[in-house]
Amino acid sequence: MSWEMMAVFIGSTIRLAAPLLLSATGELVSQRAGVLNMSLEGMMLTGAFAGALASWYTGNPLIGLLFGTLAALPVALLQAFFSITLKANQIVTGIGINILALGATTLAYREIFGSRSSEAIPGLSKWSPPVLRDIPLWGDQVFDQVWLLYLGGLIILLTALVMHRTALGLALHACGAEPRAVDKSGLSVARLRYLAVLFSGLMAGLAGCFISIGDIHTFTEGMTSGAGYLAIAAIIFGNWKLGRMVLACLLFGAAAALKFFLPAIGIQVPNALLIMLPYVLALIAVAGLIGRQTAPGSLAQPYSRS
Amino acid sequence: MSLSFLQRVPQPLLRPFIPLTAVLIALLFGVALVAATGASVSEALGAFAEGAWGSPYAIAASINRSLVFALVGIGFVLAERARLINVGGEGQIAVGGIAATAVSLYGGVADLPMGLAFILPLLAAALAGGLWGGLPGVLKVKAGTNEVISTLMLSFIGIWLLYWCVQSSALLRQPMSNSGTLPESLEIPSSTMLPFFFGDPSMPLHVGLPAVLVIGPLVALVLGRTLFGMHLRSVGLNQQAAHRAGMPIARTLILAMFIAGALGGLAGGFMLQGEQYSLKAGFSSGFGFDGLVVGLLARGSIAGVFAGALLFGFLRSGGIYMEMVAQVPSALVLVVQGVIILTLAAVTLINRRGEAV
Repeated sequence: MSWEMMAVFIGSTIRLAAPLLLSATGELVSQRAGVLNMSLEGMMLTGAFAGALASWYTGNPLIGLLFGTLAALPVALLQAFFSITLKANQIVTGIGINILALGATTLAYREIFGSRSSEAIPGLSKWSPPVLRDIPLWGDQVFDQVWLLYLGGLIILLTALVMHRTALGLALHACGAEPRAVDKSGLSVARLRYLAVLFSGLMAGLAGCFISIGDIHTFTEGMTSGAGYLAIAAIIFGNWKLGRMVLACLLFGAAAALKFFLPAIGIQVPNALLIMLPYVLALIAVAGLIGRQTAPGSLAQPYSRS
Repeated sequence: MSLSFLQRVPQPLLRPFIPLTAVLIALLFGVALVAATGASVSEALGAFAEGAWGSPYAIAASINRSLVFALVGIGFVLAERARLINVGGEGQIAVGGIAATAVSLYGGVADLPMGLAFILPLLAAALAGGLWGGLPGVLKVKAGTNEVISTLMLSFIGIWLLYWCVQSSALLRQPMSNSGTLPESLEIPSSTMLPFFFGDPSMPLHVGLPAVLVIGPLVALVLGRTLFGMHLRSVGLNQQAAHRAGMPIARTLILAMFIAGALGGLAGGFMLQGEQYSLKAGFSSGFGFDGLVVGLLARGSIAGVFAGALLFGFLRSGGIYMEMVAQVPSALVLVVQGVIILTLAAVTLINRRGEAV
C-alpha cells in the first residue's frame, strides 16, 4: 500500500468520524448527567435537514449551519421535557422522537424540495491549519477538512475542560451518579439535566449539518442512517470516558472508510461486515468482555425526591 | 394536578381510554397534516381506505401485516411482565427471515409431507429469533447488561447480517448468472410457502392468522394462570423478594427474553414464507420497531396487542396506497406513529403507580 493511499484512508477516516465525534460528545455530557438521549438520531436528522434547507434558501452555508444547529434544540427540548419533567421512559421517548423526526423531515423535504431534489446545496468550505497544510501528501489528504471539524475539535477540548475542571462539570457528573446528593446541595437536578440535554441537541445539530452541508452538500431522506445510534455505541464502547469515546469514534470512522479502501487495494470484505463491526464491538463492550463497564449510576432514571 | 380526578375513575375503564386518546390525537394530527400539504383530504382519506380495506386483497395484506406486529407485540408484553424491555424485534425478525430462507431453500424440507415443508422453516425461524433474543437475557443475568442496549445493538447486527447473507453468494444470494443478478435469495419452493387460509390468491390470508389467534390467548393464559406467569410478574415487581421466595430468577429472565425473541423470529418466518418468498436487503422494513410500539400501546394486555396490531397493519397499508394514489407521502404515517408514541409516553403520568411505560 502506498503512502498516498494511507493518507487518503486516514483523511476519510477523520471525515467519516466527524459527525460521530460531534454528536457523541454532546450525548456523553447528557448521559453523564443521567439522561439517555436516544433521540440523538432524530436531532441529527433534524439538524441536517434544517441546515440544508436554510443553506439552499439563503445561498449562505453559514446561515444554514446556524439554522440547522438551532433547529435541533426544540427536539432536544422535547426529549428533556419528556424525560426530566414528565419522567417518561427515556428510551421509548427517544424512539418516538426518532420516528417522528424521520417522518417529519421526509414529509417536509418532499413538500419543499419536491422535484428540485437533485440540486446541489451550497456547502461549508474546507480549511487546513497553517504549517500542517504544507506537509506533502498529508496537507492535502488528511488536514484539508471542512472547517467545522476543527471547530468541533475545539469544542471537544472545551467540553473535557468543563467536565473535569469546573464546578459545573462536577455537578453534571454528580447528576448522573448521585442525583440525590446534588439535590441536597441545593442545586437543581432538573435544571442541570435540561442544560445537558440541550447541549447534546446543539452538538447533534452541528453533527447533522456536518453530514448535509459539510460532507455531502445535499439532503436525502433519512440521510443520517443510524449515525445517532452509532454515536451511542461509541459512548458505550468508550466506557463513558471522553478520551476513549473519541478513539471509538475514530475506530468506527475507520471501519466505514475501509468500505472504500479495501476494494481499492484488492481485498474483498463484505460491506455489511464492516458496517456491522461497530455494533458488534459495542455489544462486546456492554457484555463486559473488555473490562468492567462503568455507566453513570442513575443513567436513564428520572429523579424525584420522594 | 388538574387531571387528578382521573385517578378516581376505575382502572378497567381507564386502561383502554388512554391509548385510544393517544391514537385519536395522532390521527387528527395526521389529517391536519394532509390538509397542510395542500392535498385534498377527502381524496387522501379515500385512497387510504381503498388501500387499507378497499378489496379482499387489501384486507388480507393489512391483516398479514398485523400478524407480524401482533407477534412482536405479544413478545414485548410477555417480557415486559418481568420488567424487561425488548427493543430487538427488528433483529429478531431479520434472523428469523434468514433461518426460514436457509431451511426452505437448503434444508431439504421441500418434499416433506403433512405441512412439515413449511412448518420446519417456521420452527427454525422461531429458534433463531429465540437465540437472538435469549442472548440479551443471558447477558443480563451474567453481566448485568442493560437489555435495552444489547437488544438494540443486536437489532442492527441482525439487519446487517441479513444484508450480508443476500450480498454473498457463499451464503444465501442466488447464483450469479450475469452482472444484473439482484442481491437477493432464490424464491423458496412453493411447498414451503404458507398455504392460503381460503385457498384463494385473491384473498391471500395465510395460515399465520389462526396460529396467531392461538398464540395470543395462549400467552395471556400463561401470563395470568401459570407458575411461569407468576414468576415473571414477581421478578418484575421485586427481584429480591422473588429470590427470597426461591424463584428461579435467572431462568425466568432468560426464558422471557427467549420467548419474546422466538415470537419475533416467527414473525420473520411469516413475512418470508407468507408474503415475500425471497430474502432481500431491507427485509425487516421497520416492522420490528412497529411491533415494539404495538407492545407499548397495549399496556400489558394481549387484547390490546391485537387492537394495536390491527390499527398499525391497516395504517401502514393505507399509508402506502395513499402515497401511490393521492401523492401524500407515506412518511405521514411515521409522523402519526411518532405522535402516538409520545402522547402515550406523556399520558402514562395520569395513572402512574411508580411504573412508566
